[in-house]
Amino acid sequence: MHDLINRWISRLFNRGPGRSRSRPLFALAGALVGMAAAIAVTGLWHLGATAQPSDAPVELTMLLHVPEAQQWRTIADRFEAENPDLRLKIIEGPSATNAIEDLHTAAFILGDSPYDLIYLDVAWVPKFAAAGWLMDLRDRLTPAQLAEYLPGDVAGGRYRDGLYRLPFRTDMGMLYYRKDLLAAAGLEPPETFMELIAASEQLQRSQGVDWGYLWQGKQYEGLSAMFAEVLAGFGGFWVDPETQAVGLDEPAAIAAVEFLQRTIASGISPPGTTTYTEPETLRLFRTGNSVFLRNWPYVWNEVNRPDSPIRGQVAIAPMVHAPGERSGACQGGWGLGINRATRHPEAAWRALEFFGRADVQKQFVLENSYVSSLRSLADDPDIQAAYPQYRTWVEILDNYAVLRPPVPQYAQASDILQRYLTAAFSGSMTPTDAMAAAARETRSLLGTA
Amino acid sequence: MTSPPPSPALRSPLPSPPPRRSPAIAFTLAIALLVIFCLAPVLWQLITSIKVNADIETIPNIYWPSRQTLSHYAELFVRRPFFNYLFNSGFVAIASTALCLAIGTPAAYSLARQPIPGRSLILGLILIVTLFPYILLFLGLLELARAFGLGNNYLALIVPYTAINLPLTILVMRSFFQQLPRDLEDAAQMDGYSTGQMLLNILLPLTLPALVTTGILTFIFSWNEFLFALTFMTEESLKTIPVATAQLSGASQFETPYGPLAAATVVGTIPLVMLVLFFQRKIVQGLTAGAVKG
Amino acid sequence: MPPSPSRSRTWPTVFLFLAPAIALLLLIYGYPIARSLGLSLMTQNLGTQLEPQFSGLGNYGRMVGDGRFWHTLGNTAVFTIAAVTIELVLGLAIALLLHRKFWGRGLVRTIAILPWALPTAVMAVGWAWIFNDQYGVVNDLLQRLHLISGPINWLGDPALAMVSLIVADVWKTTPFVSVLLLAGLQSIPDDLYEAHAIDGATPWQSFWAITLPLLMPQLAIAVLFRFAQSFGVFDLVQVMTGGGPAGSTETVSLYIYATVMRYLDFGYGAALTVVTFLLLVATVAIAIALLGRRGLRQL
Repeated sequence: MHDLINRWISRLFNRGPGRSRSRPLFALAGALVGMAAAIAVTGLWHLGATAQPSDAPVELTMLLHVPEAQQWRTIADRFEAENPDLRLKIIEGPSATNAIEDLHTAAFILGDSPYDLIYLDVAWVPKFAAAGWLMDLRDRLTPAQLAEYLPGDVAGGRYRDGLYRLPFRTDMGMLYYRKDLLAAAGLEPPETFMELIAASEQLQRSQGVDWGYLWQGKQYEGLSAMFAEVLAGFGGFWVDPETQAVGLDEPAAIAAVEFLQRTIASGISPPGTTTYTEPETLRLFRTGNSVFLRNWPYVWNEVNRPDSPIRGQVAIAPMVHAPGERSGACQGGWGLGINRATRHPEAAWRALEFFGRADVQKQFVLENSYVSSLRSLADDPDIQAAYPQYRTWVEILDNYAVLRPPVPQYAQASDILQRYLTAAFSGSMTPTDAMAAAARETRSLLGTA
Repeated sequence: MTSPPPSPALRSPLPSPPPRRSPAIAFTLAIALLVIFCLAPVLWQLITSIKVNADIETIPNIYWPSRQTLSHYAELFVRRPFFNYLFNSGFVAIASTALCLAIGTPAAYSLARQPIPGRSLILGLILIVTLFPYILLFLGLLELARAFGLGNNYLALIVPYTAINLPLTILVMRSFFQQLPRDLEDAAQMDGYSTGQMLLNILLPLTLPALVTTGILTFIFSWNEFLFALTFMTEESLKTIPVATAQLSGASQFETPYGPLAAATVVGTIPLVMLVLFFQRKIVQGLTAGAVKG
Repeated sequence: MPPSPSRSRTWPTVFLFLAPAIALLLLIYGYPIARSLGLSLMTQNLGTQLEPQFSGLGNYGRMVGDGRFWHTLGNTAVFTIAAVTIELVLGLAIALLLHRKFWGRGLVRTIAILPWALPTAVMAVGWAWIFNDQYGVVNDLLQRLHLISGPINWLGDPALAMVSLIVADVWKTTPFVSVLLLAGLQSIPDDLYEAHAIDGATPWQSFWAITLPLLMPQLAIAVLFRFAQSFGVFDLVQVMTGGGPAGSTETVSLYIYATVMRYLDFGYGAALTVVTFLLLVATVAIAIALLGRRGLRQL
């Protein structure tokens, strides 16, 4: 028996010049065993390290998209300083909010969300609440306390009588423009879509400005937000929250699409607009070669940094509208909710209370040009000194706020709109056909077909 | 990534046909084009990863950067738990490879040597199963992971990867077992070895090359897998390299981090490049186990 | 006379050896397919507060009128047919190249394998960068060669985005195909070519008369596997284009993923899964029928 084996082994391993072939195999085997041992040790250590001793500070975890994660550092540190028994761990996520939403959804679907605090975009609340992932907070605040916030923001945190999100900061879309360029050409800031086009064309012709109007046209959530404003500016609507009627195939909506399409076709907006999100448009605007930019309040600080070529040259105005209609400012805004399955509900609530405090909010706003959801801060002298246009921001929100449809199926409705908008912008469908198809699919989705 | 089933016997390749009369220049050009075609994207990522940010966003592109930086690599390991990602990918890949070989080899032996009713049916099903795209399994496995509470657990990846690589392992090892002469096993029987002992002590050492081959292919697959890693590992510190690289995000409002992304590409592919460099022949053998006619 | 091997194979041994593998395969492959079948007959989404409600063939009816489903099916078909065809032709060409002996052949073969071994998702990030409209290499090279005057928006144009995807996929999987075909080439005996040459045939004629017919089994295997893999492509598209622009590169697998993971529409997602599965089975069945029993035996 044994010599049989020996014969085979010698035949296998000593085939001519292949004798050295066995060594790499043994080396590999040895390496694998060594690696396996190392990994086993590390793995056990890793598993052991995640078990928390009972008297250690309670750690709350939260997911933030990268730009904001850095902005939260100071108030997060302050939170930990004032609450020595609590720790706040901020996980940085992708900068696209779609991606953050998908990360949260993925974690919740698995039944294993590691996040205690959920930083919620106003558009996500119906979905997360309907799916049962958020803790109902309605009993934790008195009506008086809720009245301290902007009503639109509070409404954005509700779903079917429950309150699932405490507002943190609000957001509204608006028009940024180069006041120096307009002044040099003797132009007033535009109020209507036509005036915007005319001003852009004139400045592109006479002053050699590269681009007239920068907006976000990529297929992502920001497109829906931007479009909601133009839609409102033409007097149209997306989904009526009361009746669930869909207004995407009405003339106003088609006019809105045609306007946006025209900005690209006539060269006012760059052809790459259909790939732009907020960072790309901001970057282009900052180089100084464009007149108008549609974006959110955070841009203010960015264009007024010491190293910005257009520092001090930028002013803001409500988005343009059609004659006889009102401007539209898409209401964004973020707030804090609590994971219903969190292991630290009381600690999480303490965190919500902390970040809802006026002094904390003031610090945050002073450091970053955001708009707080607390009414009182609009009257604060320090904030007025730092941001003279803060009041304007709040006024824009109060007067022109446009909410995206607060339905649980919003994610899918938004996707439908985004797809057909980009089809219209790229020319593969006419605006009429695209909007008709979008309306049809949205009705089918909402069950109102 | 799966490969086709092996044929009953493996044979060493025959010598190539006599050289044809086509011009040598055209041939060399073709080979050069092939090499460039295969290497270019990888090399471009390498170059991008050592450029400073200003050079990365220069038009026209700079192909030979005059200034280099390792800051992108540093950023990977400082701002992101890249060591964790490497560990996760490595651990899951090695564990699923080991498990796959451990489960697949006895099954392969059984299908090679033992009379089993419905053996052709089983083999046929195993064959068909290699064609399944993973998206078909996605919904069901999501439910299983949720039911067993395996979210953010290595097992949620190890078990599916093992199962997905079983068909290949079984088929390759089976063909290898069929090649071994029966007198070896008969002699072992006569000497009183049980089947298990025989498999472990005698046959296994002989099949080491095939084990290495399938092991490498399984490792490559597990390292590269994306769909399940994306779905089942949502916690940052548990992500694998492909998912982490695809989700890498920027430091500021301004830019997509092209530099760190390129650096992540390089770091995430180095282990595989090493594998390919050292085991090219084994990999080719494993892939072609079915294509060579017996 | 030595005892025949089969007498001492006991059932417990067989069970022990084979059962774990079969059990695992049934769990990971069998259960999801069966479950999808069952779930496809239910409505379970945000509209039903995530509670399952029996709805029979309702999901399938919805699929018939679902424009996005047909659109993604079309995209998948375009991608699959284009990619597989190019890979087959290119793979064969490369295999023929590598079939000759030349200095450095081992190194070239190693390099040729590299694209296949690298993670698709990671390289997809790289490809998105390569096709970037502002800073991408493709635009840069094309402009330097004066083939285009301004940058092309590869990933922003519906047709060009598909082209970019196909290029990336061809890069990744052509090595796989060429390795398969090379092994097949190497098993064709020389004498056939010699005999044919003696009869006065040119290499081109030998290719059509000898190489292609004898390579049929490998070609068939390559087509079958590449077809199935392309049909279910996910990593590349998800990371490189995310299905955009305007859903022009969205494949069936992306639609299923979004339906489940983004819209939480589990019932409909299950129905989509079942239909995809049936389509795949139908195509494979047709392919096997075309191969014939002779081809199958060679497998």
